[in-house]
Amino acid sequence: MNIKRLSAIAAVVGAGALILAGCSTTGTDGSSSKPSSTPTDTAVTGPKVDSSLSGTITAGGSSAQANAETAWTAAFQGTQASGVTVNYDKSQGSGGGVTNWLNGSYDFAGSDAALNATQLASAKTLCTGGDPVDIPAYLSGVAIIFHLDGVTSLNLSSATIAKIFTLQIKTWDDAAIKADNPNATLPSTPITVVTRSDGSGTTANFTKYLHDTQPSIFTQTVGTAWPVAGTSGQQGGSGVVNAVAAGAGTIGYADQSSIGSTTAASVSGSGKDFVKYSAEGATEAFDSAASVEAQGTGDLTEVVDYSKITGTSAYPIPLLSYVITCTVHKDATQGKLTQAYLGYVLSTQGQQVGSKNAGAAPLPTSVLKLAQKTIATIK
Amino acid sequence: MSNQTVSRPGTERPTGAATRVKAKARPADRIFLGLSTGSAALIMVILAAVALFLIIQAAPAIAQNWSTSSDLSKGPTEGHANFWVYVLPLIWGTLWSSAIALVISAPIAIGIALFISHYAPRRLAGALGYLVDLLAAVPSIIFGLWGIFVIRPFLKPLEVWLNTHLNWFPLFSGPATSTGSTIFAGSVVLAVMILPIITSISREIFLQTPRLHEEAALALGATKWEMIRYAVFPYARSGVISAILLGLGRALGETMAIALIVSPSLIFSLKLFTDSANPQTIAANLALNFPESDQLQRQALIGTGLMLFVISLAVNFIARGIITRTGPNSKRGTRRIKRLGTPADTQSVATASESPVAALRHEDESTETDGSPA
Repeated sequence: MNIKRLSAIAAVVGAGALILAGCSTTGTDGSSSKPSSTPTDTAVTGPKVDSSLSGTITAGGSSAQANAETAWTAAFQGTQASGVTVNYDKSQGSGGGVTNWLNGSYDFAGSDAALNATQLASAKTLCTGGDPVDIPAYLSGVAIIFHLDGVTSLNLSSATIAKIFTLQIKTWDDAAIKADNPNATLPSTPITVVTRSDGSGTTANFTKYLHDTQPSIFTQTVGTAWPVAGTSGQQGGSGVVNAVAAGAGTIGYADQSSIGSTTAASVSGSGKDFVKYSAEGATEAFDSAASVEAQGTGDLTEVVDYSKITGTSAYPIPLLSYVITCTVHKDATQGKLTQAYLGYVLSTQGQQVGSKNAGAAPLPTSVLKLAQKTIATIK
Repeated sequence: MSNQTVSRPGTERPTGAATRVKAKARPADRIFLGLSTGSAALIMVILAAVALFLIIQAAPAIAQNWSTSSDLSKGPTEGHANFWVYVLPLIWGTLWSSAIALVISAPIAIGIALFISHYAPRRLAGALGYLVDLLAAVPSIIFGLWGIFVIRPFLKPLEVWLNTHLNWFPLFSGPATSTGSTIFAGSVVLAVMILPIITSISREIFLQTPRLHEEAALALGATKWEMIRYAVFPYARSGVISAILLGLGRALGETMAIALIVSPSLIFSLKLFTDSANPQTIAANLALNFPESDQLQRQALIGTGLMLFVISLAVNFIARGIITRTGPNSKRGTRRIKRLGTPADTQSVATASESPVAALRHEDESTETDGSPA
């Protein structure tokens, strides 16, 4: 995965003001000068879809975006072309999705990480005549969920979160947690940290947040495998949510859209404010902090600079997932189908469907506009 | 006991039965011969193909230096110098969780089997046997979910109590669990899963004990328990051992239940009741990490699968070996069983030499040697 590489880039970018220069050389115009407020202006639409279009799109990968894919597929069939079937296999995970796509079995892959250098090299062979492109498609947030008797709301700063998840804070009445919550009565219950035992894009997004906001506390590696030993590892987001809910004094992280009725903490990022998750908050955060670091023509690999998430309502831990495809498909029919479907996914309407039916946060309009530019070149 | 034809496995066969009778071969015979030989060969081909696939896939990762490889030095394989350092804790976890499951499961399974074969009324025995077999039909994902929602919270108070009060005992030490995702909980579910295998094989073996032995024991005044102890157990010993080994084979490869229930780490640990020190099993590790792994990491994971394949194969070979060498239906069966039975029973027989059971044993041997019915 290239998360590690990306984080290195992000760290460099965050340290200096190189981000503008970095973006201006990418050739994907305008990405660096996104408006910092949530854009609500014009609706973005995909390429015009012929309603008689029919066929099957085979895809798979990230399970984070699987619910959204289901929602998009249903809405696409309902409003655009009823003859198009989309088979999205979430059992593969991001790594499997990309592998299968590189083998030529998928029309597009869903992945929580953009292509890394090795994958990009083989993707160029796959996309002869065109380019491989990473397109951000699914936005959500990583929620910090907890279960502690008598405590219904909690504020956690990024430093406290990093200390808890690296097991440096061991009990709930620790001074650091008290400092974040001056009015709360905290018991001396030991903290049980619940993490993912399987490889996960949620882990990748969360470790990246910890690493970028608190590099001196969270010194472990960023990636899809949870790096700190001594936690309670559970399979899948639902496994984490269940273990946190069933335990006492537990805390864990999970994709916001899957936490159910579990209590989530308000968290802070680089700013001082504690922000409770909202879809708008995730969109705002992404809008202000993400910028494109294109790896090739039309590519939209996003780099999140956490130091830029300072808005009082911007949720500091966004979770992003990509769709990855070729701009030129070997089979023109599949190219057309993919273009129509992804065009819908990355339209204002598609993002609203994902938000309403799958708990996602809509991507900012500026990102959708860029995505549509790339999608227009798919054939 | 009615006449000379009481046949007993292991006693001499009728003369000539050892040499096969040649029948005239018609086309149908040849076709059937071809089909069955083909099927038999197919099994070997499939097994060889699986082994070959594992070896070819795993070779690149096993050969790599993991600390310098850019793919293997991150993600699920991070922090391991080479393949063996990575796979050894996994092998330990696999064996350890299976061993706990066996310790729990084997006595219960043998008890159930004995109840069905020797104690239960016929009707109840049939129903019970059916229910146990039904247990084998429950998918492992169901067992996994049952483990999460029922077994984990059910065992937690016990685990915490033992951990708090007997913390000095190595198996119970470490920080007490708060989510219940311990290797003990996983192994309890595993024990339930292998119960039907051990039970049904043991039951069949117990039922095969010659009536002659049992009736002789009873006639000599043995109680039911003594009859079981001196007639049934020695006869069934090898069969039960292989049943346990087959159960072990099942436990070694179990994936979903362990993956769902246990909170894993790649460590050597004996602690039963912690969240943070449970060794991981090969199968669960594969299932958890395969989706997000890239090419070389997947090959490393397949390499661990190869190790599991070798271990399972070895266990199954041992089980089959014991069945064929000492099983009740083998040629040398009866003698071997007696020899197996004798050393362990020497003391008990000696102390009970006055009892009718001791006499039974002599009686039994004499009938054996001269081949005439008692």
